Order: sequence, then C-alpha cells, then structure tokens
Amino acid sequence: MSSQRRIDWAIYAGFVILIMLVPLAMDPFWLNRIAKYLVFGMLGIAVALSWGYAGILNLGQGLFFGAGAYMLAMSLKLASATSLQQGSDKPVPDFMLWNAEPGAKTELCCITKASFLWLPFQSQWFGFAMGVILPVLMAVVVGLIVFRKRISGVFVSIIMLALVLLVRLVMIDAQPVTNGFNGLTDLGWFKVGEFEFDPYIVPTYYLVAGSLSVVLLAARLLIDTRAGVILQAVRNDENRARYLGFDVPAYQTFFFAVSAAIAGFAGMLYVIVSEFASPTFMDLSFSITMVVWAAVGGRASILGACIGAIAINMISATVSEAEGFAEAWKAIIGLIFVLVVLYLPRGIAGLAHDLIDRAVTRKAPAGSVALRVHDASSQLAE
Amino acid sequence: MAQAALTIDGLGVDFEGFKAVNGVSLVIEEGELRVLLGANGAGKTTLMDLISGKTKSTEGRVFLHDTNITNWEEHRIARAGIGRKFQIPSVFKELTVRRNLEVASCRNPGVFANLGFGFPAKAKVDEVLELIGLADEADRVAAYLSHGQTQWLELGLLITQDPKIILLDEPTAGMTQAETHKTSLIVNNLRGRHTIIVVEHDMAFVREIAERITVLHLGQVLAEGSVTEIETNPKVKEAYLGSKGIS
Repeated sequence: MSSQRRIDWAIYAGFVILIMLVPLAMDPFWLNRIAKYLVFGMLGIAVALSWGYAGILNLGQGLFFGAGAYMLAMSLKLASATSLQQGSDKPVPDFMLWNAEPGAKTELCCITKASFLWLPFQSQWFGFAMGVILPVLMAVVVGLIVFRKRISGVFVSIIMLALVLLVRLVMIDAQPVTNGFNGLTDLGWFKVGEFEFDPYIVPTYYLVAGSLSVVLLAARLLIDTRAGVILQAVRNDENRARYLGFDVPAYQTFFFAVSAAIAGFAGMLYVIVSEFASPTFMDLSFSITMVVWAAVGGRASILGACIGAIAINMISATVSEAEGFAEAWKAIIGLIFVLVVLYLPRGIAGLAHDLIDRAVTRKAPAGSVALRVHDASSQLAE
Repeated sequence: MAQAALTIDGLGVDFEGFKAVNGVSLVIEEGELRVLLGANGAGKTTLMDLISGKTKSTEGRVFLHDTNITNWEEHRIARAGIGRKFQIPSVFKELTVRRNLEVASCRNPGVFANLGFGFPAKAKVDEVLELIGLADEADRVAAYLSHGQTQWLELGLLITQDPKIILLDEPTAGMTQAETHKTSLIVNNLRGRHTIIVVEHDMAFVREIAERITVLHLGQVLAEGSVTEIETNPKVKEAYLGSKGIS
C-alpha cells in the first residue's frame, strides 16, 4: 500500500472516530441536528458515487431520497398512536379519514381508492426493505433504458430532473394515499425488537453515525474494486471501454443503482431523526443543493463529498441563526460555491489531496521528482 | 492454406442513399497483416466501423472464424476477439498508464465478477509496458503522455486485451518519422501472434509492415496484392490521380 493510500485510510478512520465522539460534547437538541447533517453526508456520498465516479450528474437524486423516506414513513405512520385511534382495531392513518370515500369502511383495505397499497406497510420491516428496494428498482429501470440508449451527460441530468418533478407532482396529487402537500407527519418511532429510536436520544445518533460509517467505508472499498476502476475507465472514455469488451450500460446502471440505494437509505434515516416525510424532499432545489455539497466537498472523493455536505449544513445552521445573517446566509453559501468552483474545482478534498501530496514530496528522498512520489514511497514502505 | 480468420461477404452500408461501403468482400487469413489503402472517403474507416460494430451494416455478413458476428453489439464483438484502435487515440486519460493496461487485462467483463480487488495479470502488463516502451511512465497519468506515447498506450491496451484480430485505424497519424518507425517495430512484433488489419496513408510505414494490400475506392475493393503489385497497378494510379472524378 502506498503512503498516499495509507494517509487516505487514516483520514477515513479519523472521520469515523470523530463522529463517534460527538455525543460527548453535544446536548440532545444539537445531537439530533448533527444526526440530520450526517444523513446529508450520506447523500453526499451517493452524489459522489454517481457524479464523481460514474460521471452521471443526477439532478434528481431527491427522487431516491424521497422514495426511501416515504417507504419507511408509511410504516412509521401506521405505527403512530393516532393511527390506532381512528375507530378501527387496525391502524388507519388519520389523513385517510379526512379523504375517505363517502360511506367507505374505516379499514386500510378500502377507506380511500388506493389505500390498500398501505396494507403491507403494517410491517415496519417491509417499509424498511422497500426503502432500499424501490429506489434501486427505479434506478435500474431508468438506468437500463437511458444508458442502453447511450444517453449521457446533460441529457441524463435533464431526464432525472424531469422525473423527480413528475413524481413530486404525483405525490402531491395523490392526496388520499400520500397526504399530498402536507406529507406524512406524526410518525411513530422506529423500533428494533422492543427498543424505540426516539430521535433525541444518543442511540439514535449512533444508529445514524454507525450507518454513515458503514456506507462510507463500503463506498470507499467499492471504488477500489476492479469494477470501480473499470467504472472510472468508462467515465473517461465510454467507447474505449466498450471496444475492450465491457458492457458499459451494465456498469453505469450498477453504480447508479448503488447510489440510489444509498440515497434511499439516507431518506429512511432522515425520517427516523426528523419524524416526517414530505414532498419537499423531491423539490428541485433540494436535489441541486446535494450537488452543491458534493461540488464543494469534492465530487471525486467519497469522504470529501460527505464532509462537504456536513460542513455546509453546519455553516448554514450557525450562520443563519446569527443576528443579521438570517437572510444573508443563502448568499454566503452561494458565494462559497462560486469561489470553490472558480478556485478549487476538485473541492475541499482536492485541496487537501494537494497539500498532503506536497508534504509527502518534501519527505521523499532528494532527487526523486514529484511524479514518482507514489512509486518511491511505496518502495520505501515495502 | 491457412484458415480464414475474418471473412467479409458483400458488406455494405447505406447512409440514406449514400453507400459509404458497397459490397466489399474480403478474406483475411489467420496471422495475416493486411493493409487497407484508399483516398479520403474511400470507406476504410467505415469498413472498420462495420467490422467492429460501431456502425450497423445494411447488407452482407461478417464472420469471425465460423461465427457470424454481423451487427452484434460492440462489446460482444470485442469479447468474441476483435480489438480496435481508433484514429484519434483514445485511452483512459485520468488513470495511470499501468491502470489503463490493467483494465484492458480484465478477462471477465461482468460487473459482479469484478467486485473483488486487484488485477491478476501483472506479468502481462509488465511485458506490454516493455514492448510499447512505456515502462518508465507506468505510474504517470495517461493525460500527461505525448501524442506518440498515447498512440502506443492504445496499442498496448489492444495487446493486453489480446484479441484474435486487431484493427488499427491510422496508427501513425500525427507521428514524427522516428515515432512512426517505432510504431512499425511494435506492429511487426505483433505479426504472427495476431491477425492485423491496418488502415494507413503513410506509404513509408506501409512499406515497413505490409504483406498484402487491399485498395478501396468509393466504397468498393479496387485492387488487392503485394506492395509492388499495388504500386504499379494502373487502376490504383488512376484512382489516386482522381481522373475518374467523383461521379
């Protein structure tokens, strides 16, 4: 292993340890907030995988996030206490009563036109599984069509953008099943066995932090596999890869689906810590914000994009609460984005990478040139 | 007589009325090195596109040994054993030279088969690095290579891929004389191990490598023979002087 890679892994380990230590210094309110930011960090990872590594700029990542969020939220809605107080011995979401078909029975099967779709969500684990399966299915279907047709670049971005807006519209329109604009609120807590994940307790924070750590390391390992290297080759030159015998759409679809799975999982964690799911998850602005996080952090770095997301959210939280900045913070975030794009095209991670490179070069034996650094240091290490 | 490696039978393509390749039939024998000559627009690159699957033919068939590979998808044709070098050198620019070759060395194309770590073909990669003279550049990112080195790296990708048939589209385009000579050494080194089809304009290079030459003109085969036969062929002269015009 080259020293470069060793430093890389050390930084990843450092990050994991850091987020594990956060509960020592934070009150429950802030802990819940940080947990949300860690969820956004996971979204950063999803964007980095598809944009940075697969070269697919997805302007509709919110579709997968929203799908994951709604799937779990449906189960948690049925687990909520209010759902049991609607005059049936089985849980029925309160909003369905407000939208009930005239004369319909207060039963999940038939209270509104499509309320039967909710039936399997009486099991929390069904919702949990669907929170990953649905985004993956959507990504595979879209991916196979789009990538087989060799649609690429900005056209994929536009297709995804249109798709997320379309689904958002449908969700709002399907009020009797989705509670439309209001989204799903008043949810029960996520349960494992008898344990309830109250969003304001330390174990819930660890559920998020632990999940983020696993996803982070798994994503980092994934891009180091042969498939990850081939994917980067595909991003560099699709045709070259094709004429070497690689089924390019299969690679693109696979990583697009992995990115979707991560976004869906993040959506579920967000529901656990914030106790609601809403069509705003599928707002265009949210999907674009994710891209900004990744750009600032460094889209070519899994950890960079993750830290970018967390850092920007921390900054906006503190800045927007400081007096006189309540309105100005959006402009400040915009300014940071412009500066990063102009002066740090590879984001914060790129900057860090260059600094480490320079430090390693200085330590390397005299006479070796910068380009050979990896080589020289790996020989020293062996 | 040697076995046919590639058989092209009446191959043609019709671009909305314009026949870029029109009923070309060729038999390339196992281990042969065939040069395709022709003026601009003669259909040389289109013929390569048809063989490698980039363009779908509208008539005729292509056989790799006994397998009919007509109009297969590119990656399937590649897996069946046809490798291709492009006119504009195309390599994986953001990967190191070694990584480029490692990707080409990958024998199993599937996503799920490649979820492991490390490319096993180190010996092969080292051998190719020596052959294309890029051993000292192995850890450089391909974007920093010179034009000639990029061309050689792409040749190296093909050698690592190890296809039965190699299609080279103007491998010396934009090269200096010294670089062209080195390229001819690399190509000559491949002779016998692979069946090679080269599209080339540079007669100096053609003389260094050619056995048999096929001349294309206006999408059809005009002549076929050795270097001397072609150079003295009156039809070829006429076509190159353009006395026939475009009609």
